[in-house]
Amino acid sequence: MAHATPQGVKLLNGWKRPGRFDKGLGAQLPEAYRKFWREWKLTTPAAVHYIPKEQEWQRDEVTHAILPVQNIPLPLIDTPESHQGIWGGEAVIKGFQKRQQTKRRVPHFWVPNLRRSVVHSHVLDAYMSVVVTERTLEQIHECHGFDHYLLKNRACDLRSALALKLKREVLQALQKGVPALDDEPDRQQEVLKEYGRYLEPYTPEEIDWYGHTYLEAIRKLQKQLREAEKVKPHKVEFRSKLIEQLRQAGISEAGKLEQTDSQTGSSAEHKDSDIEALTKLESSPSSSWLSKINPFGKKET
Amino acid sequence: MLKSIYVTPLNLLKSASTVQQQVRTTFILKRKYDPPLHKTNEKPRRMRAKHFIYELVEDTLVKKRPNMQVVLKTFVEGVGDKGDVVSMKPHFVYNKLLLPGLAAYNTPENVAKYAKTEAEKSAVKHSSAYAQRTVNMLESIVLAVVMNKDEPWVLEPWHIKASLRKAGFHCREECITLPKERIEGPDLKKENKDFYCTITINKLEQAKLKCRLHHWSTDPSERLPYVLEHWKMESEPLLNVGLPEKSPETTQ
Repeated sequence: MAHATPQGVKLLNGWKRPGRFDKGLGAQLPEAYRKFWREWKLTTPAAVHYIPKEQEWQRDEVTHAILPVQNIPLPLIDTPESHQGIWGGEAVIKGFQKRQQTKRRVPHFWVPNLRRSVVHSHVLDAYMSVVVTERTLEQIHECHGFDHYLLKNRACDLRSALALKLKREVLQALQKGVPALDDEPDRQQEVLKEYGRYLEPYTPEEIDWYGHTYLEAIRKLQKQLREAEKVKPHKVEFRSKLIEQLRQAGISEAGKLEQTDSQTGSSAEHKDSDIEALTKLESSPSSSWLSKINPFGKKET
Repeated sequence: MLKSIYVTPLNLLKSASTVQQQVRTTFILKRKYDPPLHKTNEKPRRMRAKHFIYELVEDTLVKKRPNMQVVLKTFVEGVGDKGDVVSMKPHFVYNKLLLPGLAAYNTPENVAKYAKTEAEKSAVKHSSAYAQRTVNMLESIVLAVVMNKDEPWVLEPWHIKASLRKAGFHCREECITLPKERIEGPDLKKENKDFYCTITINKLEQAKLKCRLHHWSTDPSERLPYVLEHWKMESEPLLNVGLPEKSPETTQ
């Protein structure tokens, strides 16, 4: 029976709701993008807002029963603003506070402290003004530079569309040999030597698809598909065929056979002459027909 | 066994093999009530509202940040010389040293790269990191040199030394170079007139100090009227008094 269902043999492992990569355009996204997606969305990020327990088991203080430790991360909210800045893994936390024992719990949002600062990328050779948190700056210092911070950290830890976009640009720049520093070959070599090792885990296709949001990836795919199946209008195709036929029949208005191909320098002029000739051909019968009807028109002799 | 399989894809996803210390500069929370335990390798159980009651463990933003160490690429006024490893507050280091490109992070490669060469060591340009700051301070002020209105005097270095001390600068007499011409008094024509003397710091840096002569009497009735903020006013140079000679070897 399994082969008759839309999911085929896969149904044997249980029904699975089709996700964003199983239907529509999402199904056509390449494996390179899916790899990035897994790194970004399906990986547990580093614990920023809580301290995970290290041990595997713990003893209950009251009952002295031994219980396993299960670290369930606090749910975080990524606001649209977090994707316009680089918050270094921080996010908004929605929850409750119990301020007094006898009072009802109060809803509370814990929001990161943001400030605008400048970051400097050696690879892009650019200073950028971005909204950051204190944690971002500390991580930049820990990694010894903004480029190292972007390249060392996984997408789930960067947690910002802006940072991911910059990471892709840095990777692309490294791939092309740091074009921003073409004027200073010495520095270019130094930068390539320092950051070149980060290119190893990626293939060129993965770099191309790295750091796009889902919508951007779909747009990119659509653009690619559109370019692949670019249709030449029949109008153009048939017209060129017709001209070719006319030429072979030896009609002078269609231009000469060999000259158009051999002489590249004057090809533009020939094209113009072709078009003129064509318009003449097209317009001549209609004008004669109109002149017959129009009583005020000049009579052709 | 299961656990080892579970862990490997995470490691593969890491873009570089680096062990990073976790930094926390934010709110660190913990749950007031532990959520219910769930089966291994299964989704956590549905949580109730009380599992979203959080308690603040620590707000790391209000903690004092430790100093940061960087290697200087060039001489930086008030900080240090080229190749020095300096330890300063992180915001100052980032905004004033790292972003303008005056310093690099303290790594062994950077220390070796920016160490002073022999040629640079021999050609000393600065006696200390702070000398230029003192020069700037001295050149920005107008020093009031208050002399006696009744007794005759000739201007000597110790007069300048005392005036500098009143302005908050302590220096030795050997550091002060007066103009070649004798300045004598009391002479009310010289009241509120300027002349320049040179202060040599650490036998190396030289500051051009602008001085202004004033007369003062011990008898209150003889005193000149008080002028408010004389250093903001326009004044003329002393006649027949040029700039002091530039010879640091002789004057120290």
